[in-house]
This record gives sequence, structure tokens and C-alpha cells, in this order.
Amino acid sequence: MLLQQILNGLVVGSVYGLFALGFTLLFGINHIMNMAHGSVFMWGAFAGLYAVVGFDAPIGVALVIGMIAGGLMSVLLDMVAFRPLRKRGAPEFSAIVSSIGADLILLALAQKLSNTAVMRFPFDAFPVVIYRVAGLRIQLLQLVITGLALLMVGGLVFYLYRTDFGRRIRAVAFSEQTARLLGINPGWVNMQVFFISGALAGMAGVLIGLVFNSVHFTMGEPLLLRAFVIVILGGLGSIPGALIAGLAIGLVQTLSVAYISAGVAEAIVFLALFVVILVKPTGLFGQAGATMRVRRA
Amino acid sequence: MIDFFFSYASLLDLILVNALLAMSQYVVLRAGVFSLGTAGFAALGAYTSAILVTRAGWPPAMAIVVGMLLGTLASTLLAVPLSRLRGVFQAVATLAFVQIVLSVTQNWVALTNGALGINGIPKVVGTGTLLAVVVLVVAFLAAMGRFSVGRALDVIREDETVAVSLGISVPRYHRLAFIVSGALAGLAGALHSCNSYTITPGEYGFQMLVNVLAMVVLGGRTSVWGALVGALILSALPELFRVFADYRNVVQGGLLMLVIVYLPRGVADTLVARLRDRRLQRRTGATA
Repeated sequence: MLLQQILNGLVVGSVYGLFALGFTLLFGINHIMNMAHGSVFMWGAFAGLYAVVGFDAPIGVALVIGMIAGGLMSVLLDMVAFRPLRKRGAPEFSAIVSSIGADLILLALAQKLSNTAVMRFPFDAFPVVIYRVAGLRIQLLQLVITGLALLMVGGLVFYLYRTDFGRRIRAVAFSEQTARLLGINPGWVNMQVFFISGALAGMAGVLIGLVFNSVHFTMGEPLLLRAFVIVILGGLGSIPGALIAGLAIGLVQTLSVAYISAGVAEAIVFLALFVVILVKPTGLFGQAGATMRVRRA
Repeated sequence: MIDFFFSYASLLDLILVNALLAMSQYVVLRAGVFSLGTAGFAALGAYTSAILVTRAGWPPAMAIVVGMLLGTLASTLLAVPLSRLRGVFQAVATLAFVQIVLSVTQNWVALTNGALGINGIPKVVGTGTLLAVVVLVVAFLAAMGRFSVGRALDVIREDETVAVSLGISVPRYHRLAFIVSGALAGLAGALHSCNSYTITPGEYGFQMLVNVLAMVVLGGRTSVWGALVGALILSALPELFRVFADYRNVVQGGLLMLVIVYLPRGVADTLVARLRDRRLQRRTGATA
């Protein structure tokens, strides 16, 4: 029983990790706290669901559609909500406000579209295959999710640290002006980062929709709040940190829901965030340079 | 006239409570503190006074004062570690605080009655009391804004480095702004609970946080008038445009984005600044 719960926790945690990865890309690297990230996630889930329900798309295709939808929505968000502010050199606070505005719009449209209903994937959308290993029930879906999460993290690390594109992204993150002097087009780089971040959120959306078999317009908010916890806990801009913290939060949450109560689980998660941000705001895997951005001298 | 007043009395109450909340948010934003904690402090104030009145049978006036004090106490405790953090992290930490308060009010059923909320709170706070409190708070904040404290807060908001070079202690003023914000939010929550018969945890969640923030951003965060105008517009707008109730959030979200992009100082503050400019121009024109 305990092992089973741990397994479930790890699976949910790896989806959290996926979601938080896109968030930490923007938050840690581009210095943008995207309050609309949860809505991008929700729209990804919607796109995947409509692909399956409306067009009988196989689940693999739906996953890709969800990713593309999330990515495009995120790029659109950048153009409408963030780029005008960046041009003016507005403070971080403005970006928070304008993404909250975008979030309200995206939420309201989704509510209208879905008539506030909870939607479900068809029962056979993902083949139900269950393996029994040492008394544990392991679903094929769980294996696929964990595999995808690891693949995405590995891919992202490779992309950021081993390719030319990644080097450009890191250059822009370090200083947009310096990058411009070196002949890098920051607009194009930012578009890429937003697309990747949105695509990861869209993927997480379809996967969460499958795991809990429910797609609803408010599904983004709890995830966004968890993403804050994960990003801070894992350390600002740390990609492995986001995954590890995601797994930890998934685990803590599943175990406390199973053995204590759902309400307490919520409180524990945010209490953890609160303590970490007050005691060690650079997180567990934060880079050395992060202190400057977090703390006053 | 009297009929008109009675049919809109509840709307007026709503505007006044929102004005208090908006002023609580304005105090921190004016100082450049990215606090989102207003909803959490308001919940503390509201629940404290509601529980004291309904369970312990305290006189409402005392319960309201204690509610406000608890909001102040919580913000004082938070202010010390918070003032050491930078912008976005203050936002995240206060967001976590709001979530913690929310889950306590939702889950500590024995004390707070859980998701059902607390009912049957006697209505002892009328429009008159609310109006008097709002006027007092406006006077207090306007006075605070005019003297050196207000100048210091303005400098810190515009440029922390300049503030430090002028010998202004940034953490000290951040703490001050945060404590005042907690006190005002606690007061607003306590008054609201004794005005509306019933309170539920859901009222003090993300929605309130967004609403209050929207008011101050819309109105402007450099003078107390901005908060008042924002509260007035965003409380009255949904009532006036009931037809578009479904698209209320679309309108609100669109307004937020438009204002922060094209009118970053807010409606009221831009207007005030423009009037002042014109007056200065006229004066210099007269002497030339």
C-alpha cells in the first residue's frame, strides 16, 4: 500500500515537474513570473481533449496537438502581454499584473467554451494495460508519463547546454543588450523560450487530464500554485532542481492525502514554500549567482 | 432619493469595503513592496471578529478591534523576513501566506465551520460607519503621503539604489508599509464580516487577491486617490453592466492589461499628474 502510494506520488510528481520546468524557464531564465502559465496548461489539455473527442485522434497525436496549442498560446501571450512591457523596460511587477489579466481572459473563455462542465477523455483513449510487479499495480500510462518527463528534462538540458540555440538563450538570459551586440535576435530567442515553456505546459495538461481523467477550466490554478513551490524549492532556474522538487511535492502530496487529509496536504505544501523562501530563498539547487536576485544586501 | 439610496446601499457598502482593501494594497505598492497578502490579512480580520462575536459573544466593536490587531500582528511578524526579500519573491511568499490562511479557514472545521463559512453574524456595521472609517483612513494615508514618509516610499518605489544613497533604509520602510497594509486589511475584513451577515473562505482566495490588485493598478498606486477610484470603478462596473456578466472577467482582464501597458500609472494618477502639469504650464506662461 505504501509502495503503491509512493509510485503514484512519483508519477504525479513527474507531471508537476514537467509543468514547473516551463515555468522555471521563464521565471528563472527570463525573469518573468507568468501567472497565466496555468491557463496555458489548461488550454493544452482542452486542445488534446477536443482532438480526441472531436476528431478521434489517437492519443499520441492529441499529445502533440496539446503541446503545439500550449506553445502557440504561450507565444501569443508573450506578444500581447509581455513584449510591450519589455520594450519599455517596465519593472517585474508590471509583467505579473499583465499576465494576471491575460489569465482572467483565458479562464473566462475556457469557461464559456466548456460551459463550466468537467470533461473526460473516452475510456479507451489510452490503452489500459496493467503490469503487476512485486504486488504493485503499474499502469502503462504511468510508465509512459515518467518516461516522457525524464526525456523532456534530458532533452531540455541538452538543448540549453549543448547546442548553439541553447547558448543563445542563455546569452539573452544573462543580458539582452550584450546578446544583441553579439548579433543575436532576442525577439526570436524569447519566442523560442515561450514556445518551449508553453509546449511543456500543454503536454503536462494532456497528461494530467489522462491521469485524473478530468479536464476542467479551473485545473490550472492548483498546478500554478504548486509550480511556485516547486520552482522556489528546486532553486531559481535550476532544471534538475525543478524535476526533483516536482517529484518531492508529488510524493508529499500523495502521501499526505492518503494518510492525513487533502486539506492538510495543501497546508503542508505551502508551509514548506513559506519556510524555504524565508530560510533559504535560493532553494535547494539554486545557483550561486541567484542570491543577488533574491536577497537584499 | 431615499429609495435610490436604499436600493444601492449594499453596493455602496461593497465599494467602501473594497476601498479599504484597495488602500491596504496601495500602501505596499506605493513603497514598491510586491505584497499580495491583503486577502490573507482580510481573512484573519474577518474570521477573528466573526468568531469572537458569534461564539464568544464579544461586543462587536471590540471584536472588530481585535480582528484588526490580529491582522496587524500577522503582518508585523511577516514583515521582518519579508523586507529582506526582493520583488517577485515577496509576491510568492505572500501568495503562500494567503494559501495557508485559506486552507486553515477551509479545513479547521471546529473553529471556522469549514467551507460553509460562518453565518448569523449580527449586522452592526452600517454604511455610515464604513464611510466614516474610509474617510479617516484616507485622511491618515493622505497625510502620511505628504510628509517625509511618503517621499521616502516614493523614492524606494522608483529606484532603490537612489533611496539607499539618500540614506533611506529600504527594509525599514518596507516593513512599515507592510504592517500598515496588514492593519488596514484586517480592519476591512473585520468590518466586512460585521456588515454582510456571513463569511466564507472562498471570498478571501485568489479572486479577492486579483480584484484588489486590479483596483490599485487601474486607479494608480502613487496616491491614495488611485486606490479609491479603482475600487469605485471595479466594484460598480459589474453592477452597471449586468448584461455582460459572463464576460466580466474578460473585461477585467483586458482592462488590467491595457492599463499596465498603456497607462502604467493608472487612471487617477495620470489624470492628477496631467492637471498638475497644466497648472504649472499656465503659471509659467503667465510669468513669461
